[in-house]
Amino acid sequence: MQEKDQHRTDARDAGDRLVAGHVSEDPFAAAFKATRMPMIVTDPNQPDNPIIFSNEAFRRLTGYTDDEIIGRNCRFLQGPETDKATIAKIREGIAAGQDVAVDILNYRKDGTTFWNAVFISPVRDEAGRIIYFFASQLDFTTVKSREADLAAARHQAEAEVAKHTATLHAALEARTLLVHEVDHRVKNNLLTMASIVKMQTRITTDHRQRQTLMSVLNRIEALSTVQRKLFTLDDVSKFDISEFTRELVTDLVDATGRKDIRLSLDLSPLLVPAVKATPLSLIVNELVGDAVRRGLMDGGGDIHVMVKRLNGHFLIRVEDTSEPVEPDIESTELGRMLIEASALQLGAKIERKQDGRKTVVNVVLLVGDKQENAH
Amino acid sequence: MKVMIVEDEMLLAMELESEIELAGHQVTGLAMSSSQAREQINASKPDFAFVDIHLMDGPTGIDVGRELAAAGIPYVFVSGNIKKIPEGFAGALGAIEKPYTMNGMKNALTYISAIVGGDESGAPPASLVLAEDANAGKRFG
Repeated sequence: MQEKDQHRTDARDAGDRLVAGHVSEDPFAAAFKATRMPMIVTDPNQPDNPIIFSNEAFRRLTGYTDDEIIGRNCRFLQGPETDKATIAKIREGIAAGQDVAVDILNYRKDGTTFWNAVFISPVRDEAGRIIYFFASQLDFTTVKSREADLAAARHQAEAEVAKHTATLHAALEARTLLVHEVDHRVKNNLLTMASIVKMQTRITTDHRQRQTLMSVLNRIEALSTVQRKLFTLDDVSKFDISEFTRELVTDLVDATGRKDIRLSLDLSPLLVPAVKATPLSLIVNELVGDAVRRGLMDGGGDIHVMVKRLNGHFLIRVEDTSEPVEPDIESTELGRMLIEASALQLGAKIERKQDGRKTVVNVVLLVGDKQENAH
Repeated sequence: MKVMIVEDEMLLAMELESEIELAGHQVTGLAMSSSQAREQINASKPDFAFVDIHLMDGPTGIDVGRELAAAGIPYVFVSGNIKKIPEGFAGALGAIEKPYTMNGMKNALTYISAIVGGDESGAPPASLVLAEDANAGKRFG
C-alpha cells in the first residue's frame, strides 16, 4: 500500500515537473489544459506506465477526479465488455514504441460505457528515448450507435428482400407448374383429336371420305409436331424450324415405305419466335406433303429440303423431281388455302418454278426484326 | 410380336391398339394403372410394351418400366414430357413423345419390331428418342 502511494507521488511529481517545464503563459500548456479534446500523458519510465497528467476534458469524459486518475495505468477505463484483442493491440504498440490508433469500449466512473477513439503516440527526447506517451481520446458513441442503427436497418431490409425473393420463387414455381400442366393437356388433346379422326377413318368405308379424313389428320398432326417442338429450347420463346422440318420430312418419307425416294436435307438451325411456329410449320408441311402427293409416293424420285438464312432473311426451299401424277384436287385446294393464309400472316413471299419433272418452291421470310436476325 | 399397352387414356390406348394390330402385331392387353400392368406382365408375358409415365395411380409408369426391365421385356416410354424420364431411362429402349403422328408411330413400330426380332441394322426414326442419345444429354441439355 505504501509502495502504491509512493508510485502515485512519483507520478504526480513527474506531472508537476512536466508542467513546471512550461511557464504559465506557455500557449501549448494552456491549450492542452483548455482543449475540449480529452488528453493524458503517461510516463513509461515509471512502473506500469502511469498517467502523470490529465486535462479537464478527460476528467469530464470519464467522470474521475484528478486524484483518482494520476498514478494509475490507463487500463482502469476498461471493463468486462472491452475487446481483448484491442487491448492487446494497445499493449503491443506501446511495447514497440509505436503510434496506436484504436476504437475501444471504455467505462466511466459511474459504470456507463462509451466508444473511445484512442490515439497514443510516444514522445521522445533529443537522444530518441521515449520519455512520455501522449494519448488523446474521442467519444464517438453517437456515431457508433448510428452505425448500429444502420446495421439493424440493413438486416431488416435484407430480411425483407429474402422474404420477397422466396415469394417470387414460389410464384415462379407455380407458374412453371401451370405451363407444364397446360402443355401436357394441349398435347393430350391434340393426340385425342387425331385419334378421333383416325377412328372415324377406320369406320368409314367410302374411299373419298377416308381420303378427306386423312387430309384433315395430316394437318392436325403437323400441329402436333409443332407442339412437341415447342418449349424444348432453353429459350422457350423460340422455335427451331429446322428441327421441325427434319422430323416432319423424315417421318413422311419413311412412312411411304419407298426405298426409291432419295431425300437430302440442308438444314441450319433457324430460330423463329414461337408465335410464328404454327403458320411456318403449316407451310413446310404443305410443301413437303404436296411433293409427296404429286409423284414421290407413286413413283419415287428426289426431294431436297433446305432451311437457311439468306441475306439476312429466312429461306425455305423444297425441290423435288418425280414422275408427276394427278393429285387429289380437294386436298390440293386445302393445301393452297393453308399456304396462302400462312404466308399472308407471316408476310412471306412464295415463288414456285416448274421445269419438266422438277419443281422448286422458295419461301422467303423477310425479317425486319433485328432480334430474329440475331439468332 | 405380343405387345402390352400401359396407358390411362382409354381412347389413346384403343387407337394405339388398332395401329399396332394394323402393323401385324397382337396386343395382349391394355393397362391403365401400375397394378393392372403388373398383373398383365405376369399373365401374358408380352414381347414388348408401350408405357405412359402418368397412369391412373400417378406417375407410376417409371416403376412399371423398371419391372419390365427386370423381367427382360423391352419397352419404350410414350409420354408428353420425356424430360421427366429419370437418368438411365429406367432400362427403356427409348421414348416416343406425345403427341406422336401416325407416321411417327408407324416408323417407330417398324424399327422396334426389327430390334425385338434381333435385327439391329435399321436406323432409328426421328420419332423415337433412343435412351443412349438422351443419356448423352445432347437432346435435353
